[in-house]
Amino acid sequence: MEPEKFQQVFKRLEAEVRKVIVGHDDVIRQVLIAFFAGGHVLLEGVPGLGKTLLVKSLSHVLGVSFKRIQFTPDLMPSDIVGTEVLTEANGRREFQFKKGPIFAHVVLADEINRATPKTQSAVLEAMEEKQVTVFGESHTLASPFIVLATQNPIELEGTYPLPEAQLDRFFFKLMVAPPSPVELREILKRTTGTETGDAGKVLPDDGGKVINQMQQLLRQVLIAPPIEDYVVRIVHATQPNLSNSNGSTSPVKQYLRFGSSPRGAQAIILGAKGNALADGRIHVSYEDVARVIYPALRHRIILNFQAEAENVNTDEILAEVVKQVPRS
Amino acid sequence: MGTSTDALNRESPEQRVGRLVAQLRNHALWDSLLIFSPPLLIAIYLAVYLYRGAWIAPITFLLLSGAVIGVGLLAVVVRTRPLIPSVRSAARLVDEKTKAKDRFLTLATIDVALWPAALVGRLRWEAATLLERIDFRREFPYRIKRSFYWSFLVSLIAAALFHLSMPLMGSSRRQAPAYEKLGELAEKMAQRPPLSALAHDLRTLAIKLEHPNVAEQEKQTLIHKTLEQVEKQQKKEEEKESRALLGEASSTLQGLEQQSARSQQKDAEKGGGGAQSNPSQEGQGEGKQSQGGGGDSKGELNAERSKDMQQGQGAQGDPKEQGKEKNQQSQRDGKDNQPDPSNKSDKDTGKALTGKTPGGSQEKLGRSRSEEIPQGAPPPERFYQPGEQGKEGVKGARYVTVQLPEELAADSKGEGTIGKPSKETKAYPKTPASNAPLPAYVPDAPTEKQQLPLEYRGIIR
Repeated sequence: MEPEKFQQVFKRLEAEVRKVIVGHDDVIRQVLIAFFAGGHVLLEGVPGLGKTLLVKSLSHVLGVSFKRIQFTPDLMPSDIVGTEVLTEANGRREFQFKKGPIFAHVVLADEINRATPKTQSAVLEAMEEKQVTVFGESHTLASPFIVLATQNPIELEGTYPLPEAQLDRFFFKLMVAPPSPVELREILKRTTGTETGDAGKVLPDDGGKVINQMQQLLRQVLIAPPIEDYVVRIVHATQPNLSNSNGSTSPVKQYLRFGSSPRGAQAIILGAKGNALADGRIHVSYEDVARVIYPALRHRIILNFQAEAENVNTDEILAEVVKQVPRS
Repeated sequence: MGTSTDALNRESPEQRVGRLVAQLRNHALWDSLLIFSPPLLIAIYLAVYLYRGAWIAPITFLLLSGAVIGVGLLAVVVRTRPLIPSVRSAARLVDEKTKAKDRFLTLATIDVALWPAALVGRLRWEAATLLERIDFRREFPYRIKRSFYWSFLVSLIAAALFHLSMPLMGSSRRQAPAYEKLGELAEKMAQRPPLSALAHDLRTLAIKLEHPNVAEQEKQTLIHKTLEQVEKQQKKEEEKESRALLGEASSTLQGLEQQSARSQQKDAEKGGGGAQSNPSQEGQGEGKQSQGGGGDSKGELNAERSKDMQQGQGAQGDPKEQGKEKNQQSQRDGKDNQPDPSNKSDKDTGKALTGKTPGGSQEKLGRSRSEEIPQGAPPPERFYQPGEQGKEGVKGARYVTVQLPEELAADSKGEGTIGKPSKETKAYPKTPASNAPLPAYVPDAPTEKQQLPLEYRGIIR
């Protein structure tokens, strides 16, 4: 695939989703980047911000299958991955695998933190392996496959926060912010009147092939070794035990319990590549890296008790890290 | 011109970045050269100055110059190396100038073989298109840095300070080279067997001169003795090089002798007020001495009178004139040495002269009497004060220790040697003589001095 074609498709996808979703341009762009990079996205925001609608619209414009799983405490893993059911066909009874909702190209795991860890882990395993095993039989998931999980930062009672190891499997964590007054007016206009915006399909129904080509092109994007070094330095700087030991009270040392894993660096590089392609470039620049540092690392650095007590969030610490790490 | 532009355009962006690195490297080199050139040039200039002023030996000059140049070059290299931009830095500079969003950085740093050729080719094409927008010479011109001006200024100040401090350094270092030179001469003489004894003496002298505990008078005596030996040897020596060595030693010793005499004179002036600074004290001192050795003073006075008379008769032939002059001389002498206006008699003058004469110390004079005693009538101007304008325009007259001839001295003690030339002694002139310089090393020599016109100094030496 040509880079121009990638950019063209990407722009059209963005434009179509924007017909439905008001605002959240960065979120839309980064969800698309994560999709073409082959990663999963954790969307965090209060209810009613259009998270579910965003995912629905995305699957629609991509022309791929979409399933939604509403996570509740009584949800079982088999409800997600599927199970063997006894069926009778031609007078013969046999077990047949009934695919769960995970077998879709785009899966919305709504309020993932409300399910028990057992159920959560079933989803997260499928996310990583891109296959599920039921009664000893492995079933490959659809390709392309993306899980868009949402999480509500309030109403934490009766929830099961995702463990760090499982959070690490998300490519990006995107914060869905409340709309601005202008955006809110536009939302009202679209949802309370007769005029409704419908997203059109950008890719045909068998768009999986195009998506795979776009995913391959993304990985071919050129990146200079100095930029890779910069990413390495950034990730390294998030390690509280390894960062600058000059005795100063750096926020990393002060507020972090654990730094980013290597997956953080991978996510930054792939995200930067996707960003470059979306801008019509075939090489990564420092600006591309800067744009994806926050979504790629904010869920991978673990705050300590002091940070939580002082209400310090990960973005503030990352901002400090970016400020301290030189580009060359 | 067009061809070169085409050639530039044909260059790949990576090559252009490489050319920029070379250009910036030259800039860094120029910067370093400009910063270090002023101090380097000043250092070389100072070395030349010291060499030409004979402060340093030629070999020292060569070594110093070499070291200065070496250090300068090293400093240039050390300063330039970290300033040479890397390919990454140069590529980033081009990216900033062309707003290429790290295209040049990517091209300059990636391993082309590891990436899809189509994408690399496309990136190269994009970069080449952007390169057309800029001209490296215009975008990265060479500008003289402020550090050069600082360096220049500081170097000038250093040179000026050096020149200002030279007189101080000169006064502090004046004595030292003479000792060293004596040592060097001794070394050279030691290589020549006929001069080995003299070399030993010179070495001994050099050691004694350097030693602070040795008394000034002893030093002076030693210098004089050695000078005599050197001059004797110089007369004997036939070999040209040895003569040159001896001549050098002689001049060095004479210089040292003068220095020593000067310092002794200064000490005397500081100590008792000095003959010139406190004439009344000097007069008192002379009076006492005259009382102590009455016999001497009489004889010396007679000798002085008879000599003056003879000279006056020989040169002028007019007794009246001569009498006048003598009177004037006596009066002036009295004025110089005894400010008391009542004390103007010849007797007093004789006393003053006698006071300067130590008995029996003339054997220590190493020079020929006939050379030292001025011939002809002494001009009365010799008694003028330093800088005082005489008839003949005598200026800057100085003082000399005057001693009567030993014959007269002996006569005054009752030995009566005048007019009796003995076979054993050398043929000294019978004429009583004045203005014969006393050797400064004489242990009991009085500090009083008598004026001597400048034109006689050469003759006395």
